[in-house]
Amino acid sequence: MKRLAVVACVFSALMFLGFTAVGPVLADKIKVGIVLPLTGKLAKFGEIENKSFLMAVDEINAAGGVNGKQIDLIIEDTTGKPDVGRSAIEKLISQDKVIVVGGGYSSSVTWATIAVAQQRKMPFLVNTGSADRITEQGWKYIFRLNPPVSEYPKAFGSFLEDVAKDVKTVAILHENSLFGQSGSKKFVKKCKKMGLEVLIKEGYEAGAIDFKPLLVKVKAKNPDLVYMISYIMDASLLMRQSKELNFNPKLFVGGAAGFTLPEFHKNAGSASDYVFSATLWTPSVPYPGARQYYDKFVAKYNTPTEYHGAEAYAGMYVIADALKRAKTLTPEGVKEALAATDMMTAFGPVKFISYGKKTQQNRLPTFLVQWINGKLETVWPKDVSTRKYVYPVPNWNQR
Amino acid sequence: MEVFLQTLVSGILKGGLYGLIGMGMSLIMGVMGIINLAHGALMMVGMYITFACFTYAGIDPYLTIFISMPSLFLLGMLIQKYTLNPLMEVESILPENQVLMTVGIAMVLTEVARFVFSSDYKSVRTSYSGDTFFIGDISFSVALVAAFFIALAFTLCMFWFLLKTDLGRSIRATAQDKDAALLMGVNSKRITILTFGLGSALVAAAGTILMPVYYLFPDIGGPFTRKAFVITILGGLGSTVGAIFGGLTLGLAEAFGATYIGMAYDDMIGLLIFILVLLFIPGGFKRLLKV
Amino acid sequence: MRKYSPILLLFILILFPIAVRDHYHQHLMILVLMWVVIGSGWNVIAGYTGQVSFGDAAFFGTGAYTAGLFVTKLGISAWWGMLFGGIAAMAIAFPFGWICFRLRGAYFALATLALNEVMRHIATIWESLTDGMVGILVMQTFVSKVPYYYIALGLAVISVIGVQIIMGSKWGYYFVSIREDQDAAESLGINTHYYKMLSLNVAAFLTGMAGALFMNYMGFIDPEVVFSLHDISIMAILVGIVGGVGTLYGPVVGAFVMVAVHEFFRTGFFGFFKGIAALTGSDMITVFAKYVMQAHVLGFGILVVLVILLLPNGIVGDWNLIVKKIFPVKTREVTS
Repeated sequence: MKRLAVVACVFSALMFLGFTAVGPVLADKIKVGIVLPLTGKLAKFGEIENKSFLMAVDEINAAGGVNGKQIDLIIEDTTGKPDVGRSAIEKLISQDKVIVVGGGYSSSVTWATIAVAQQRKMPFLVNTGSADRITEQGWKYIFRLNPPVSEYPKAFGSFLEDVAKDVKTVAILHENSLFGQSGSKKFVKKCKKMGLEVLIKEGYEAGAIDFKPLLVKVKAKNPDLVYMISYIMDASLLMRQSKELNFNPKLFVGGAAGFTLPEFHKNAGSASDYVFSATLWTPSVPYPGARQYYDKFVAKYNTPTEYHGAEAYAGMYVIADALKRAKTLTPEGVKEALAATDMMTAFGPVKFISYGKKTQQNRLPTFLVQWINGKLETVWPKDVSTRKYVYPVPNWNQR
Repeated sequence: MEVFLQTLVSGILKGGLYGLIGMGMSLIMGVMGIINLAHGALMMVGMYITFACFTYAGIDPYLTIFISMPSLFLLGMLIQKYTLNPLMEVESILPENQVLMTVGIAMVLTEVARFVFSSDYKSVRTSYSGDTFFIGDISFSVALVAAFFIALAFTLCMFWFLLKTDLGRSIRATAQDKDAALLMGVNSKRITILTFGLGSALVAAAGTILMPVYYLFPDIGGPFTRKAFVITILGGLGSTVGAIFGGLTLGLAEAFGATYIGMAYDDMIGLLIFILVLLFIPGGFKRLLKV
Repeated sequence: MRKYSPILLLFILILFPIAVRDHYHQHLMILVLMWVVIGSGWNVIAGYTGQVSFGDAAFFGTGAYTAGLFVTKLGISAWWGMLFGGIAAMAIAFPFGWICFRLRGAYFALATLALNEVMRHIATIWESLTDGMVGILVMQTFVSKVPYYYIALGLAVISVIGVQIIMGSKWGYYFVSIREDQDAAESLGINTHYYKMLSLNVAAFLTGMAGALFMNYMGFIDPEVVFSLHDISIMAILVGIVGGVGTLYGPVVGAFVMVAVHEFFRTGFFGFFKGIAALTGSDMITVFAKYVMQAHVLGFGILVVLVILLLPNGIVGDWNLIVKKIFPVKTREVTS
């Protein structure tokens, strides 16, 4: 028994050291907690956000921090699972004693963590979780920077009304994810409102090898508009195979981020030409700092970033701004300060307002972008466009 | 009509590829009687080898077969020799320990891949990745057609190998009756090691020829493992021709399911066929065709 | 000593939330207790009856969805799901077992795996009922973790005692005889199909209740979370084999070890490396700490491989082996 006891004692002593060692070194810093999926299936996006948070906090600290105090960012891995996300935020609140939490990423993890935040009276700034009901609970400690999924196709709607008036029939393809399922439902409603006929609406499991059976079926129905909610690789496969099948609707429109990333163009090649996409953010949006953020990120990490990164980067600045204005550096003080936020970020203007069923929700415009000659151009709304849209789109064999 | 034909072509082309994925699993299951749940993970390793060779050395993806297959052959042999074979001697309550072991191996392989290559999507884009040709109104993707014929060639090679060579005969003998084979002087341990290597090499080949049209990330293995065992059960254990039939059946079922029922039901159709075959044709096609 | 240790353990567990006020550790213990329930369920069908299930998530998810749908569709409390979740899981297990128990060994395992995936697809596609990937959201009843803790503890105690009673009865002997030799059991006149069904339904009931607890406690479920092959089904197997298949306290030990190991890796040995890095200011240790934290699933995988190779019957099952390895002297005294 003795040997085991010795081993156990040494071990627990080491652990205790681990617990306490961090304490004194960081005593005069402001602790901010972030929960992100750094491992597991969602790690790719978690990593982009992680880098953006770190980049933003480095900039803020280098510029003198918050009223002379440095921010200490404590990033916890959620592994993309709600129960682990919950462990992570409980640890941040109980052990690390942070005064504000951000991040969350996927809607399921975000939900599990904000429920804890609200109960424990800890301000939480959601920057990515896009399920509508996150801000529909009337929770006073939860703020959301990004628009909910239902608002993504806003700009596209006005484009249909003003420019593409000859579009009458619609086909909707979506991945069976939260984003795909709720986004497609909202789009069906929107189509009904605008008097468009939905010929087919079909979900698929992300990661298919071959979309041809689905695409020939859609092609046979001959829709004017194909609206797709897909992530990069499915998106590029859908476009490549549409080209292979010589399928020519009047418009191909992407309803999610998959269609705006450089990897989409790289993988789809010429099949990405003239594809439209609804988006919240690209480096070319008319916000101060958007392009700089992109360039700085690429220079620092040598890999492209996307709108998730911009959300995280802006989120960090919003938190820092609230910390600056907070009357007391307590969760309560930060919550009051966050509620009064009114600032400009690389992701757009941030102000937490109530509208519809939502409370403390930031309202942002959305954009329509189009791939023209291998470049992603903002084409709608007109007043912020970087280039005139190409419509009608030429057929595949006439290019 | 066009819809029907295009679906048929898609199903057949995909089915050939599935056959190659299933063949390795079929051999392993036939000889050792264990379900290799690391099958998809082994395919993922093969795909990463192709990706690395293409990206860093500029080797054409189809040529990397000559690198990915031997590497996976070796990896498979090591896995069998040092992790699965020792289990045969260990006293344990559950005979399925070997299956559980393959789960552990799959986790290790996946996480090592994530460590080395991160979770990012990787792809191999060659000048001919998007090429197509038309017969009538039906479009054929060049890469998938190539994949189909390579898969077919592998099947014929394997068929010949199992039928005509001494080693192949020993493998078949072990698959049919392990104890009898042992009595006839077959070194069954050596056979299991070789079979696992062979199975791994075959699925690596499948991964390599899929690379030009598909993409890659560490978690890609899961769905393919599932497809592989469905194909194996459909085709019958240890049968190469059965694997091709199983692959084609699954490919066609998925394609027609996607066109006439709905693409969301893709996976479910495969799994339901699987359960039905398990229950009603326990030997798979092998039993029906006697090959 | 051996006789009283379960009572001692129960006593410690009852006092735990009073002694440890920290929400974080309370949360971890709730997870441990939940896994005790799932692990016990798995142990009944796989450990005792020898029918390895790769599809526990099908029952777990059914239980969770039953609880969730009670709120969204019927407007009654999700706590009813604790009972009906188990029953709903049995309603899935019954026809499945009826059809698939003619399969043996590895084939049955594959069929459960297929069931897992089919259930996940159904929950994803049947949007009008389940809301698909949007998931189900329920308000938590209690702010404090203590009520959840005691409910989870109650459930865990019920499942361990339940398994003990079942295994001590006639059923238990039949279960084990099926595991040891199904044909022999059959020839002795045991209706193996019937007893396998019983065993599966017990497992499904326990797992379903755990699912309902998860719904109540986490407040949010979607198909990817509760029907996850990797995070639920495989994890259940790991809890079972790490603790010890076919042992009463195996799942208890397994659940504790698995949750602890998971958290241990995820936090980088509870901030140990970070602490060292901050003390010494060494970048190398910071980088190393990052790798350690990222490697938690890898750590899991290696743990599984090692446990199967070295302790094929788990920690509890091979306890004597472990004791012998660590204290060679003492055991010699005992044996001599």
